[in-house]
Amino acid sequence: MIDINPQRILVRYNVKVEKEMTPEEVAEKLFPVEENIREVAKAIFEGDEDEVVESIQNAINNGLDPLNLINNALMVGMEIVSTLYDDGVLYLPDVIISAQAMMEGIEYCKEHFGQDHEYKGKIVSYVVEGDIHDIGKKIVTVLLRAKGYEVVDLGKDVCVEEVIAAVKKEKPIMLTGTSLMTTTMIGFKDVNSRLLESDINVPVVCGGGAVTQDFVSQYELGLYCEEAADVPKIADAIINGLNISQLRKEFHKH
Amino acid sequence: MSLKRYNKMAYDDLEDMVFGHSIYPVKTGFDLEIGAGYTSAEVNYAPRPAAGESKEKLIAEYQKITTDVLQRMVQVGFPSVVLETEHVQQMTVNPSWGAEIAHEQKTIMEEFYDEYGIKCALRHTPADIRGGKESLDLRGDSYGMLLESFEEVASNGADMLSIESLGGKSVFDSSILRNDISGVLFSIGILGTLDVEFIWEDISKIAKKHDVVAAGDTDCSQANTAMFIAGGLLDRKLAHTLAVVTRAVSAPRSLAAYEAGAVGPGKDCGYENTIIKAIAGVPISQEGKGSTCAHSDLMGNLAMQCCDLWSNESVEYRGEFGGTSVQCWGETLSYDCSMMNTAIEAGYAKVFRDVFMVSDRYRDSQAFILAFDNAYRIGESIVKDGNDIYLRAKNAAIEACNIVDEGSRGQLELSRFEKASLAKAIKSLHSLTDEKDVFIEENMDKFSTMENFIPKNYGY
Ligand code: B12
Repeated sequence: MIDINPQRILVRYNVKVEKEMTPEEVAEKLFPVEENIREVAKAIFEGDEDEVVESIQNAINNGLDPLNLINNALMVGMEIVSTLYDDGVLYLPDVIISAQAMMEGIEYCKEHFGQDHEYKGKIVSYVVEGDIHDIGKKIVTVLLRAKGYEVVDLGKDVCVEEVIAAVKKEKPIMLTGTSLMTTTMIGFKDVNSRLLESDINVPVVCGGGAVTQDFVSQYELGLYCEEAADVPKIADAIINGLNISQLRKEFHKH
Repeated sequence: MSLKRYNKMAYDDLEDMVFGHSIYPVKTGFDLEIGAGYTSAEVNYAPRPAAGESKEKLIAEYQKITTDVLQRMVQVGFPSVVLETEHVQQMTVNPSWGAEIAHEQKTIMEEFYDEYGIKCALRHTPADIRGGKESLDLRGDSYGMLLESFEEVASNGADMLSIESLGGKSVFDSSILRNDISGVLFSIGILGTLDVEFIWEDISKIAKKHDVVAAGDTDCSQANTAMFIAGGLLDRKLAHTLAVVTRAVSAPRSLAAYEAGAVGPGKDCGYENTIIKAIAGVPISQEGKGSTCAHSDLMGNLAMQCCDLWSNESVEYRGEFGGTSVQCWGETLSYDCSMMNTAIEAGYAKVFRDVFMVSDRYRDSQAFILAFDNAYRIGESIVKDGNDIYLRAKNAAIEACNIVDEGSRGQLELSRFEKASLAKAIKSLHSLTDEKDVFIEENMDKFSTMENFIPKNYGY
């Protein structure tokens, strides 16, 4: 068997560009200073559900208000995780594990203290009819929840009827649709026209392997986006009042 | 159940593993022999979306595809070719559609064979339609329909039968996104293996009945999902070391098809196939640089090292400047095969194999474990406990981690992150029990609260 020194054949760019500091070191600088809140945020960063619940209970025992904890500890901890993911310091499973811990924390606050908090907005997500590729959609859903949005996840292989009914019932600020197959993505067209028929002007953000910007641009409500990590940014932009043509200007890259 | 477990390696010497040769070649179709001293292209395609509107349109689409490919093969002088039809949903849920398409394709192939003597064969891969909207229903009504689809294509022209089966997928999906190694091991090593055994006993019977080839499965739904989530060098969705563990565990899982009667050629997107070839000696189809039309991977050349069929995974049928897409990709694959076959004729096969392999060996840890020498080592760890589906999967995972760990002390460069995640994986693998029943019980318990996990799917 022959072997070689690979140096002149390939470049491991991931090794080359790796950041100097570890995620823990970067996060350490970002945690809030107040002791109780810091502990909760840290537990979120570590994605440890038991830690989260314990530190919340401690903080409450020390006189902190559950709602304050949701907004200034749980959400802040999650914000740090999301930021580090966006900056290329953390990996996706870190975000997912932390988001799970955050939701657990919110649940705990709700159950034990009857406190709820306000979500930034409501979003409906789904995978088009005929398509069962749903991991991408799961990722999009978690990233949205991680950024404080309430997501009504309709699942995979969802028929147009069901999407329209959900939009009418939930009145979301936007819809996210996933399609990985060229054979199924035409489903976005029907959703678009049915929404327009009912005078509903909610942006339909479309993504997934098969979908292209050209395809989505054909539909009045369609907005294309490649990276799951950009979806919460679109939601933020919608909350800040951008309409579909402004959103396209901002997020259509091709 | 009569499963033939593998307790030793088919190849005594890993140096004997090379492209175009397998220990148990497969004769099929019109005069074709796979793994019998030459490689052939396996062209794989998808119909245009509009073609799915009716049965007539779909049949016409496949007729065009088949004719286009064969015409190009003849025009450029290639001696052999395999066509693979991966069903779109409609073809499997309406078994007679799949049958008619297989028949039409085979008729065209026969005409070309009669006229030019081109060796050729047809693989059909029904869609695994057992993935319901809410959860998997692996042994219910849709399973009956799936088997009917196999019956129909086997009796109407398909020479080889394959599937990309879905067992374990719901548990896997949730585990992989949470870095849950034990969940990955459970979903692929246990659930996947049980399902593969179950369906391949039936598919093998159907193949036997119609005198066609039970070819093999692939862990596309799990190991390739991990590979795609892991992505390129700069993607940060999944540690590539976790994709390594996933791939290693997929080998004993896909091996189960051969234990239940399949004989190869294993399906193209089973990147685990080199490990399987080492264990079972069956011919394999592989894809790599010729499948960039479908996806990017980090082992475009390495994947050729031991292939018997060389595939493009799938390309949508449409026009390109150089002909239709199936003609372009079929030609590219066939030129690769021509080069490999020349190397075989000239006595340089092993040199070529090594060059293919070494050019990607250090590109990524996922490629590193599949280099044929390392693949062989993983194979050995599997057959060591060949009768225990849990231990062999765990062994494969640990061996793959050890290989990467050793490699990182040599030419395989790892980032600090990759080293850390490898260390974590090794730690969690070593913390697992050695008892299959204990492991299964623990995990049945752990996933019992997951709404779409149904133990009945796996006979529990
Ligand atoms: C894994 C896989 C499967 C798994 C799916 C498991 C699952 N739970 O999802 C299984 C085995 C079930 C499967 C089945 C099939 N598959 Co498949 N599959 C794939 C594969 C290999 C990887 C997909 C994947 O998981 N990628 C990783 C995830 C994370 O990426 P993603 O989903 O694209 O999501 C990312 C982005 O797109 C984005 N995103 C996702 N959603 C959204 C939404 C918004 C709003 C935004 C902004 C972004 C966004 O964010 C995500 C993170 O970055 C692809 C290959 C490929 N090139 O994509 C084929 C592929 C999609 N499959 C294909 C086919 C044909 C099939 C089958 C029909 C095969 C068959 N004969 O059975 C069946 C389909 C059954 C059905 N009815 O759906 C074809 C589709 C071809 C086409 N016509 O377009 C592909 C392209 C393979 C190929 N080249 O032929 N498949």
